[in-house]
Amino acid sequence: MKKHILKYSLHIVLALVGIITILPFAWMILSSFKSNEEISALHQTLLPKTFTLENYVSLQSNFDFLRYFANSVLIAVIVTVLVVYISCLCGFVLSKYKFRGRNLIFGFVMMTMMVPWSVTIISRYTMFMKAGLQNTYLSLILPVMVSGFGIFMMKQDISALPDELLEAARIDGANEFRIFHQIVLPMSKNSISAIAIFQFLWVWEDYLWPYLMIDSDKKQLLAVGLTMFNGRYATDYGGLFAATAISIVPVIVVYTIFQKRFVAGVAAGSVKG
Amino acid sequence: MFKKKRALQSKSEIVLRNMVVTFLVAYMAIFMVIPIVIAFAGSFHNWNPLNGTYKWIGLDNYIRMFQYPTFWVSMGNTVIFCIVVVAFRVVLGLGLAYAISSRMVKSKTFFRTIFYMPTVTPLVAVAYVWKIMYNPQFGLIDNLFGLNINWLYSSKFALPAVMAMTIWKDFGYAVILFMSGLLSIPGDYYEASGIDGANAWQTFRYITLPLLRPTMILVVITSLISYLQAYVPVMVMTKGGPGTSTFLSSYLVYDQAFVKYNFGYASAIAFFILIFTAVLTLLSFKLIGEKS
Amino acid sequence: MWRKVLGICLAMSMMLLLSACGSEETATYKGEIDTNPDKGLEVMGEHVTYDPNHLVNDGKPVELEWWLWDAPDLFGSIAEEYEKIHPNVTIHIVNNPWDGFWTKLPLALQKGKKGPTLFNVHNSYQHLLLTYMAPYDIDVKDLEQDFFTAKSHEIDGKIYYIDFGIMTGAIYYNKDMWAAAGLTEEDIPKTWEDFREVAKKLTIQENGKLIQAGFNYNGEFENLMQSISYQYGSTLFDESGTKPTITQEGQIKAVQMMLDFYDKDQVGDKDFGTDSAQSFGQGQSAMVYKWGHFYGYMNTNYPSIPYGTFEVPVVDEDPFAYDRYNGESTPGINKNASPEQLEAAQDFIRFYLANAEKQKSLCMNYSLFPANNALREDEDLLKNPAIQAVSEHISDYIWPGPMPATLGDNLKIAGQDIMYNGKSIEKTLKTAEDIIKVDLSNMDFVSSESLYHKYSQHK
Repeated sequence: MKKHILKYSLHIVLALVGIITILPFAWMILSSFKSNEEISALHQTLLPKTFTLENYVSLQSNFDFLRYFANSVLIAVIVTVLVVYISCLCGFVLSKYKFRGRNLIFGFVMMTMMVPWSVTIISRYTMFMKAGLQNTYLSLILPVMVSGFGIFMMKQDISALPDELLEAARIDGANEFRIFHQIVLPMSKNSISAIAIFQFLWVWEDYLWPYLMIDSDKKQLLAVGLTMFNGRYATDYGGLFAATAISIVPVIVVYTIFQKRFVAGVAAGSVKG
Repeated sequence: MFKKKRALQSKSEIVLRNMVVTFLVAYMAIFMVIPIVIAFAGSFHNWNPLNGTYKWIGLDNYIRMFQYPTFWVSMGNTVIFCIVVVAFRVVLGLGLAYAISSRMVKSKTFFRTIFYMPTVTPLVAVAYVWKIMYNPQFGLIDNLFGLNINWLYSSKFALPAVMAMTIWKDFGYAVILFMSGLLSIPGDYYEASGIDGANAWQTFRYITLPLLRPTMILVVITSLISYLQAYVPVMVMTKGGPGTSTFLSSYLVYDQAFVKYNFGYASAIAFFILIFTAVLTLLSFKLIGEKS
Repeated sequence: MWRKVLGICLAMSMMLLLSACGSEETATYKGEIDTNPDKGLEVMGEHVTYDPNHLVNDGKPVELEWWLWDAPDLFGSIAEEYEKIHPNVTIHIVNNPWDGFWTKLPLALQKGKKGPTLFNVHNSYQHLLLTYMAPYDIDVKDLEQDFFTAKSHEIDGKIYYIDFGIMTGAIYYNKDMWAAAGLTEEDIPKTWEDFREVAKKLTIQENGKLIQAGFNYNGEFENLMQSISYQYGSTLFDESGTKPTITQEGQIKAVQMMLDFYDKDQVGDKDFGTDSAQSFGQGQSAMVYKWGHFYGYMNTNYPSIPYGTFEVPVVDEDPFAYDRYNGESTPGINKNASPEQLEAAQDFIRFYLANAEKQKSLCMNYSLFPANNALREDEDLLKNPAIQAVSEHISDYIWPGPMPATLGDNLKIAGQDIMYNGKSIEKTLKTAEDIIKVDLSNMDFVSSESLYHKYSQHK
């Protein structure tokens, strides 16, 4: 009996938190079908009084939304793949090889996580401009392709791989590159999923750097596009909400694909401290 | 630590090691060390790269920083903001993760996905949504609870309002991390405690919590670092107002660098934050580390 | 499963990469060559004139970028009209969001001919841009004869940009509420004393709770305060034009008057409609103080609210000035551009300034009082309520100069400190003044207040 009460109260609490979580979200999506006048009307209703697709339709006509969207997907995928690969490689070397200065390098990588963006962004901009990298996708990829967080997670995970496994492969005559690609990578799937989700999200959201680097409309990213709704004198809430509703779709897709491994992966990367 | 060492390192190991080390060192030098050095030098200058001003002024930026009342307000706010938001993130994250992981709860994936939704939504959009929800005349919150509070314009409630939004946005991240942590605790630990006749709270306090220490460290440290750098919620919701009562130190940096273009001054503040972050990080490492 | 996902991702990114490269090539532009100098068109303009019948850059192709933060269609139409006359010139319109524009633009201007050649200017960012700007290749006297605010933009005998129109504040009132309170056209107040009585009539309270504000200035504190303190004759800067003086009697009286509206007369509340624009649109506030852009705001967001405008009331019959104004500027020219681009840009600017029709459509769009004297009596413009309200005393509006944002920002903070955090007026204004002083000491800002025709009467 006591168990039943506990079970129900547990579900009630979870459901309550769930509702609080969903509510602003639902409100935003429903509002994306309202006109701007209705969004800020005095008498609010959850469902739109007059249903309109105008906000969605004008997305494409106001700026090349699909183009921005595709660019963002492209950059996010490339950066995510790179970060995952580099993090794995560095994690492998830093956890399984013993050499002088290893801890120093690892400590330094950790420290980079603490440096505020504000310290580096201007000097980095000047450097990239001098290198003639402005308005290239390379400029968006280079500064984020090494992630301290990713290396940290992968180092933790890979260090848990039994040395005997690698040793056995070595005795079979496999070189280190093969060991990495055929043993280490496949065995780290879970952590890779976790990093992939985190990283994808970060790239997807990043605004200031792409804005500074990219000049041409054709190459611009979605996160920068979202700020277009915040005009000098007023904010187009309807447009913003519609664009946001669409822009979270890929993240949710990525999340759903990887989510089975996600939790297990975070576990592998974070727990064995 | 004292495992058998292999006598010989294979050639490919040396190649791979050198490759990775060279890459990492070069990368860090180019993308981290050089910009930091440039910024550090800049903090001693009246520096505005936009119109080409670069004039040595010694410690003036640092002196000005310590004399600027808003700086101290923002540091105080940042400390409150970090402590409260991190605490909520940990407590909510741990509690909910523990609840979902319980054998009594089915549809774990469902709750997990729901709780993670705010985390995957762009912060800018979330902040706008909450800004409207806080409106005293037609906002959801006052209407729902029958209140009449001007949340974002009240010196008492503005900062808590921004914190509430941040907690809502980010607690899912902690839920996921703690769920992973709980998942990796081997079942035999619980069985053993069951035999010893420990009650649920004792099991949690003396078995689960200590075993979650690595996760706890990860959550606290990454949250701390990211919240010390938070400025978007303030930028969208209050612009630091009313007055300066919701200024956070990173918003001050953003404001000085990208609104007022005092890059030297902004760099000085940013360096202060860097040192502050380092100290706080070490401190929390020590605190959580010593518990066990 | 894992391999599949990775495979799909890689394939997708490759496809996108290819399509991105592909479109890049098609975008390469090969300009036309213009051989016909005789366009058969008339000379435009009064004093600043433009004769279209010539070749630009000897008719060889030249490309420019023009950076804006708003209205790409409108500005684009000027470029298009010009391109029609000179087909060898291509002007690419690049629209950037206002947020971050002023970080990005100066950095882009350093890129020389690869950066923007033309860029829209806001005078509060003059201190960032001036080092990159080439002066207009137009006689300063001609400019001053055609544009009544041009003189205030003269720097060492040269002009780098001018205003095509000016914006200022006015009172907007809800016509339905006005009628419901039994008010007529006759009741439009001239002084703040009368205004106060009207506001009281427009206020509706139920059980001690405000349900309709007679007057709402929330979010406009710094603008309204500057207006009223100018009316009292207190200028924002000292005679040298470099030191802020915002703790004078006029400013303190202005703030006190504003606080009295809410505290004494209770015609509004700091927590009632914190965004006065929205509150007016929602039909909760009867009167608001707004600048000209409010006309466009109402059109887009709340087209169904019937409203009128009147000039901002004054403290006495002969105020020092009615209000502050600010200009919307003509484009600047990047001095680091190539000589070909510079030639085309200078020619384009002359076309822009001589083209009163285009300036008119810009003024209509932003509800600006036209700076071009040829448009002063224009009937269409005078029909716009925002322009109409200010047209009578336009010469009694003062421009404090290309004021960096720090002044407005810190006055806004001061306003919130006084209204919401309950701090004292004098102390708060003093704090703001100190911060502004430090900020300005790093810039070469000099106020233009002394150019105002009644400057000698200031206190």
